[in-house]
Amino acid sequence: MAGDSSFFVIPGALDEARFSKSLRGLVAKLDDAKPAQSFELLDCHDQSLRASGKVLIETGGSLHLLKDGQTTSQRCKGKGKFVQNLPAGPVRDALADFPELRALMSVGAGRIVNRAFAILDDLQKTQVRGTVMTLSSDRGQVSLVAVQPLRGYDRAFNTACEYLKTTAPGATGVEPLFKGLFPDLTVYKAKPEIRIGTQEPSIEVATDIVRTYISVARQNEAGVIADIDTEFLHDYRVSLRRVRSVISLFKGVFSPEQTADLKREFSDLMAPTGRVRDLDVYLLEKDDYFRLIPPQLHDGARAMFKQFEKERSQALGRLSRRFRSQAYDQQMTRLAEVFADPANLQPGPNADRTAYEYACALIWKRYRKTCKLARSITPDTPDEDVHELRIDCKKLRYLMEFFAPLFDAKAFKTIIKPLKKLQDNLGLFNDFSVQQEALLGFVQQHSNTQGRADAQLALSVGGLIAVLDQRQNAERDRVIANFQLFDSPDIRHLFRSLFHHKGD
Amino acid sequence: MKIIACYSNKGGVGKTATSVNLAYLYANAGFTVLLCDLDPQGASGFYLRVKPSKKLTDARFFEDVERFTKSIRASDFEGLDVLPANMTFRDFDVFLSRMRNRRSRLKKALVAAGSDYDVIILDCPPNFSTLSENIFKAADQIVVPVIPTTLSERTFDQLVSFFDAKKLPKKKLKAFFSMVQRRKTLHQDTMDVMKKLYRKRFLNSSIPFTADIERMGQNRAPVSVYAPRSAASSAYQDLYDEIESGVVSNT
Repeated sequence: MAGDSSFFVIPGALDEARFSKSLRGLVAKLDDAKPAQSFELLDCHDQSLRASGKVLIETGGSLHLLKDGQTTSQRCKGKGKFVQNLPAGPVRDALADFPELRALMSVGAGRIVNRAFAILDDLQKTQVRGTVMTLSSDRGQVSLVAVQPLRGYDRAFNTACEYLKTTAPGATGVEPLFKGLFPDLTVYKAKPEIRIGTQEPSIEVATDIVRTYISVARQNEAGVIADIDTEFLHDYRVSLRRVRSVISLFKGVFSPEQTADLKREFSDLMAPTGRVRDLDVYLLEKDDYFRLIPPQLHDGARAMFKQFEKERSQALGRLSRRFRSQAYDQQMTRLAEVFADPANLQPGPNADRTAYEYACALIWKRYRKTCKLARSITPDTPDEDVHELRIDCKKLRYLMEFFAPLFDAKAFKTIIKPLKKLQDNLGLFNDFSVQQEALLGFVQQHSNTQGRADAQLALSVGGLIAVLDQRQNAERDRVIANFQLFDSPDIRHLFRSLFHHKGD
Repeated sequence: MKIIACYSNKGGVGKTATSVNLAYLYANAGFTVLLCDLDPQGASGFYLRVKPSKKLTDARFFEDVERFTKSIRASDFEGLDVLPANMTFRDFDVFLSRMRNRRSRLKKALVAAGSDYDVIILDCPPNFSTLSENIFKAADQIVVPVIPTTLSERTFDQLVSFFDAKKLPKKKLKAFFSMVQRRKTLHQDTMDVMKKLYRKRFLNSSIPFTADIERMGQNRAPVSVYAPRSAASSAYQDLYDEIESGVVSNT
């Protein structure tokens, strides 16, 4: 029946003598140190645990999760695993909001020593209990001190906390731990903030964005090679896609020849990643596929997924070799150097247009084009036009995201919400269509010269295609309604007031 | 909630040692235990290294939940807290019964203050007083250590007579032989006589006279902590089992 314990992250080791001295007549007695064990600090690539103030330590075959000064432990290994695949236990429960697609990986390692301590009075009565966990890395040492009050001994508890507070001045949360042990560990951001000035020349904006996303892409290469989780390749592709859309959407910012060259070069960089990503998506949706068709058809689907898994490991092998190659590294380094300075690029006619004015013109034009196409869509419009609309919406969204820092955040949020809904709808429409094609292609690939395929396989694929086609049609039916939500008078008004200034 | 009083109207019979060891064994079994030191000599607190608290003698103390809960000290053992008070209090039985009543304001205040104990053990002063009479009324069980000597026999007779005179329920009395020296014929004879005379009052377990128990004053801890494999430790364990679950050990 004790009150809440307190928790301190202090630099270095706990100085037993100085601690005792500060306790005014009481003595701190530390248990003998047990032999040091190795530990690994686990998090996912974007350090979502760190961002939420948690620390996950794997040592001696157990996981220890620290949050708000409380430690939760579970006997299991976590490195390389997804949280949802950990055995049931308190650590898994506490990590329930960890991203499902992200694996736990080691972000740092070192040695750990655990010691318990007691603060005793002249009768050797324990007045405060605690533990010290001292972590050491190549770069430094920190101690995590947990202090537990005992009922009726508040004064001793407060005295101990006071001393520990002075040893950890101003620092709160888990950041001192990261800074003390792994000062060079940078936080990966898939979407870093890019500052833009309203009067900044457009070529500078474009180079800033491209440079940033080349760097984001590169930060994902190691994770793809190590095959930690599928998000590395996904983020890599999203980054390069952003680069490509800057090059193609910022019309006239670079010279026509350079625009064409860069378009080709980035397109060539993306191409070898496509197959692995497609297969990743199929494999991630494996369970859903099985749910789509009755159990009688599962045998063929199982064979198909086995094939996908085999193909993925081959495709990933090729991609990893490519990422490790010198030629690739040189190419990426060269591109990063080119975009380090706008002076390295050939300016086009729009290069010097100021960011704000240029952004308004681009977004307004794209908005009008998108609306024109969307308004023409009826239940009889061919699928190609719906695909076209998806691409237009995507371009509009990218433009708005690139230039977002120049505009009112609240207004943007209002616009993006229905746009995102429409995009999700169009995205599913596209996914279902692409999946049907892929499945048909898969059967053709596994047919003999007379066009005959394995019956089990063909049955499963046939079943899947039938369901996917129905879903695609259902999504299509929703497009008109979702566009109308986006095309409301309020949103129209917002677009006009944000991007279209009379007299421009 | 259960209230167990450790009482003897004669001093030096091992009452405080019993209170401390029983309290420790209850806590060890997973109960949350409050050991109340009602003996002016303050010895049960001493055994647990808890210093006596000041000025807990006045009557208002028990009406003031905050002062009451603030005086409680954690022992070094999980689940065992100590109230190191030397108090004499007229309406102590009222306090105890309110403590037990789920609907009383006192109980609710205690729960809120984290002072809702499964077991309360009272180390009582060795006399007949209003306080002891109140305790007899409020307690569920009254554990009485008896040294098997002629003098102790007399004091136990007095206790039973007191219960008769005051019409108190004698069923609550759980006497046991304490500081037993089996080699002494006097001890053996007295035990035989008293067990016959008070067949229903005596527990089967008894606590031997051992140096291990005497050393409690030096070690300032329950016997099972510093001499876990001693005869004394297992004797207290048997006593606990018999009081808590009615399990009678064969030894």
